[in-house]
Amino acid sequence: MKRSDASRRPSGFSQFRALLMKDIRQELRTREMLTSMVVYALLVLTIYGAALSQVADGLQVVSFAGGLLWALIVFTSLLGLNRSFSHEIESGCLEGILLAPVDRSVIFLAKATSNLLFLAVVEFIVIPLFFLFFLSGADVAATTPMIVLPLAVGTVGVAGVGTLLSTIAIDTRGRDVLLAILFIPVIFPLLYACVSATTTAFLGVEGTFGAYWTSCALAAAYDVIMIAAAWGLYEFVLDA
Amino acid sequence: MGRGEAPLPGAGLAVEAHGLVKQFGNRRGLDGVDLEVPAGAFLSVFGPNGAGKTTLLRMLALLSRPTRGSLRLLGVDALEDADALRSRVGLISHTSMLYGDLTARENLEFFSSLYGAPDRARIDELLRLVELDHRRNDCVRTFSRGMQQRLSIARALINDPELVLLDEPYSGLDPHAAELFDGLIARVRAGRTFIMVSHDLDRGFELCTHALILARGQVVVCAEKEQVDASAFKDLYRATVGMGVA
Repeated sequence: MKRSDASRRPSGFSQFRALLMKDIRQELRTREMLTSMVVYALLVLTIYGAALSQVADGLQVVSFAGGLLWALIVFTSLLGLNRSFSHEIESGCLEGILLAPVDRSVIFLAKATSNLLFLAVVEFIVIPLFFLFFLSGADVAATTPMIVLPLAVGTVGVAGVGTLLSTIAIDTRGRDVLLAILFIPVIFPLLYACVSATTTAFLGVEGTFGAYWTSCALAAAYDVIMIAAAWGLYEFVLDA
Repeated sequence: MGRGEAPLPGAGLAVEAHGLVKQFGNRRGLDGVDLEVPAGAFLSVFGPNGAGKTTLLRMLALLSRPTRGSLRLLGVDALEDADALRSRVGLISHTSMLYGDLTARENLEFFSSLYGAPDRARIDELLRLVELDHRRNDCVRTFSRGMQQRLSIARALINDPELVLLDEPYSGLDPHAAELFDGLIARVRAGRTFIMVSHDLDRGFELCTHALILARGQVVVCAEKEQVDASAFKDLYRATVGMGVA
């Protein structure tokens, strides 16, 4: 077989696009991650519904809806993050990627972006159901649409930090457990800020919106710091 | 250049390693390996389990860095400029490194795009070479082990590497698939340096121009095949394996 022209070094963006499109194509074909996350979220919603139906009608679901919603998002995302590298390790594909002249931070960005996309799709399906199940008859504040900001900032952080931690857990026995053990404490500051901002938006009490913006700013700062750290550490994590 | 031919004259060294050490905690995976492989050679690496063969191969594939020592690949310092070398090295492993839910063509397009814009003509040429052109649009999950291994050759050659590394490539192949694999390797030998780790002494020795035995992370013997007696080499290998886990 004849030798071809020398390989050209591709741009980081074209490699990012190739990695991202590969993840999307695989997910569209198998629907493994999306199906498992949506089914799990529906199951949790059903359990929430069963539990809340046992308590008094006058219970103010709105006052703790932020916590319920974020518990749903975090545990659903944990399930997805555990699966996000399953294709890469199945037949040594990650090594195939690492053999290529790809900057390791590009691999992180592509995987974090695909995780973010899949989480966003699941939230797009699950959050309207959450409203339908729990908040359709409740006295919802006019400020409720403001939950979009903490949801967006929180999902970015969950995807970014989760990608780093699921990479750390790849080669370990019981990686599902390890990811959960690492993930919850590491994202706790983000989770706290997002629950706080979401609850404030749900309640819509006058004079509390300073806390809303502070929580959103803290969550955004967490995202910037943690994603920058993950970006910088990713090469070390992959080579370890 | 066909199978078993001499190294490329005047082409220099494809691999030049001195004092390679790889430390895993208290254990040494490699313990001062010196190695020189001429460009165009086919080096077969033998040794018992745990001898450091895969550790050495991963280092040559730039997947792992040595704890100590120097390594030059294709005339470039591998520790200083690994990124520049990655597009010149290919690895065929006992795992296919292929996505089961993507088709043969999609897999090659994906890996090709990591090395540059996908070269569709080259992808077609490689699919014909490995005789999988008729299955190009089938998911790899539906392929037999032999077909996956053939496609993994195409994947490893997508960047037209000058140095091709093979890690136990016969693992899980039936005799017919192994013969097909040998034929393919012979067809792509021209102008490339091959380094193969194998437990299959007969097949590995037949293919090689140079042979190396590794034990306990150290080189026991490394010689040009023409300069060693085959039966003496095999006896030495068996004696080395008899040492137990290195």
